[in-house]
Amino acid sequence: MKRKLQALLVLLILGGLKLPVEQAATRYLREAKLLSPPLDMSVRDSIGQMGFAASLGGLRSLVASITYLQAYTAWTNVDWAKVDAYFTLTTSLQPRYERYWDEASWHMAYNAASNYRNNPKLNAAVREKLYADHIQRGVDILKKGLHLLPNSALLWKTLGETYERRSREPKLAADAYMEVYRITQRLHYARLAAYQYAITEDPSLWRKAYDLLKDSYDKNQRPPSLLSTIKELEEKLKIPLPSRIPDVTKP
Amino acid sequence: MPHSNFSPARIWTLATATVTQLMRMKILAFLGVFSVIVVAASFASPLLNPEQQLKQLKDVSFGALQIFSVVIAIVATALLLPRDLEDRTLYTILSKPVPRYEYLLGKLLGVLLLIGGGLILMDAAFSVVLWLREKLLLAQMVQSLNAQRPEDLAQIEAYVAKQGLTWNLHLGVLAIFLKAAVVSALALMVSCFASSTLFTVVITKCVVIIGHGQTLMREFFLNGKMTAWVEQALSALLAILTPDLAVFDIVENVIQGEVVTWGAVQIMLGTSAMYVVGYCVVSHLLFVEKEL
Repeated sequence: MKRKLQALLVLLILGGLKLPVEQAATRYLREAKLLSPPLDMSVRDSIGQMGFAASLGGLRSLVASITYLQAYTAWTNVDWAKVDAYFTLTTSLQPRYERYWDEASWHMAYNAASNYRNNPKLNAAVREKLYADHIQRGVDILKKGLHLLPNSALLWKTLGETYERRSREPKLAADAYMEVYRITQRLHYARLAAYQYAITEDPSLWRKAYDLLKDSYDKNQRPPSLLSTIKELEEKLKIPLPSRIPDVTKP
Repeated sequence: MPHSNFSPARIWTLATATVTQLMRMKILAFLGVFSVIVVAASFASPLLNPEQQLKQLKDVSFGALQIFSVVIAIVATALLLPRDLEDRTLYTILSKPVPRYEYLLGKLLGVLLLIGGGLILMDAAFSVVLWLREKLLLAQMVQSLNAQRPEDLAQIEAYVAKQGLTWNLHLGVLAIFLKAAVVSALALMVSCFASSTLFTVVITKCVVIIGHGQTLMREFFLNGKMTAWVEQALSALLAILTPDLAVFDIVENVIQGEVVTWGAVQIMLGTSAMYVVGYCVVSHLLFVEKEL
């Protein structure tokens, strides 16, 4: 009996000593991005008790892979609500894996939106409404991902493309491309931003576009679209003739 | 030859005998199952992009590694004492001048040798399959994109290699082993006061599940997020009595390519050692008083 009490005492002392050690270890590993934040309890209802227990038991990555495959199956069955639901789960389980956010957004903003727009069973008003809603859903997914991964060049690039090609919001597209430029320092993205600023209605943004393109031009990066856009902007901004770039000679 | 109170040689003899005993229980049949799972996973979902295919393979493989290690740690350890009692091996050993703590250490070391050996074999098998799959996907991509310029090839290679075989993955396997070591020590401690193998398995499994959610409980307790004293007392008790196994759950982020720092390795080794030593001390105190 005496030994059992000693054992319990050792266990309690160990427990008391380990609490601050564990807390410090968890903090360090989270800062090193080796531990994910605790699982959102709302996920439990969606993946069931078994899935939740498995994800709690150190198998989050595996459970995320399974829900990803389920989303893939739902996509092949053209069931957009399920695709969205499974991707929501997948991104909740592995919020640091940018590809999941990227793909989830692509399914909504491109596949689902186009599928609804081309659905002859729906009337025109409903088609357009669903089209716009799913593009917005794709944007929202990316914004949520970017809230967690603010330095993901991939997600900013996809957001820029979505604004540019789907919702046709050039200023927002340009701002997103500028974020990619900030992260990667690749002039290609500064040019993409400039092309979008150039097609807005705001003259102050035309100036910004011109400066970005001129910077690229001065660094000897001069693709045809850059030259033609600079020429257009020179006209719009009434750039003095001596400051203009030479006319493009057509072969 | 004088009898010493502590003999590493005796512990080693007990450990190797334990490994032999467990091998006879066909406990490593899991290795064959694992190999089939890994090969199947490597060719599953051919429609996914290369990066996703490699990630899928790693997810399934690491999932199998974790399940293998934890299941063996619980079941093998839970079986040891009852089996030795049943076979009367325990009486034969303890009738000789073998201290009880040496017997416990030998048994635990035997289980850890088996788990470690199994993990090394599975890691090797997984690494080979992952490397082959990576090369195959790389060749397929180069062919499909008709890439010939060195810079294009380098870009494709970097893209595929991002999810391919790295030394970092082996540190993920080390984390799995350290978690299994803690679970084994825990199961040994439970089996020292348990009335049956089933009791040991069930209790240890429950503690393992609670241990994975322990971070939440500890943070609730330490940050005073609970107001009811019953909740506080319960969360405090669970936080004190269960190990925080989430400390070893770096695998999912290792799969994504996060680099395991030396500091992180030290933290995991230290935490694991703290639990194993602590549980061994408690096991000894319980086993010394156990009537055989």
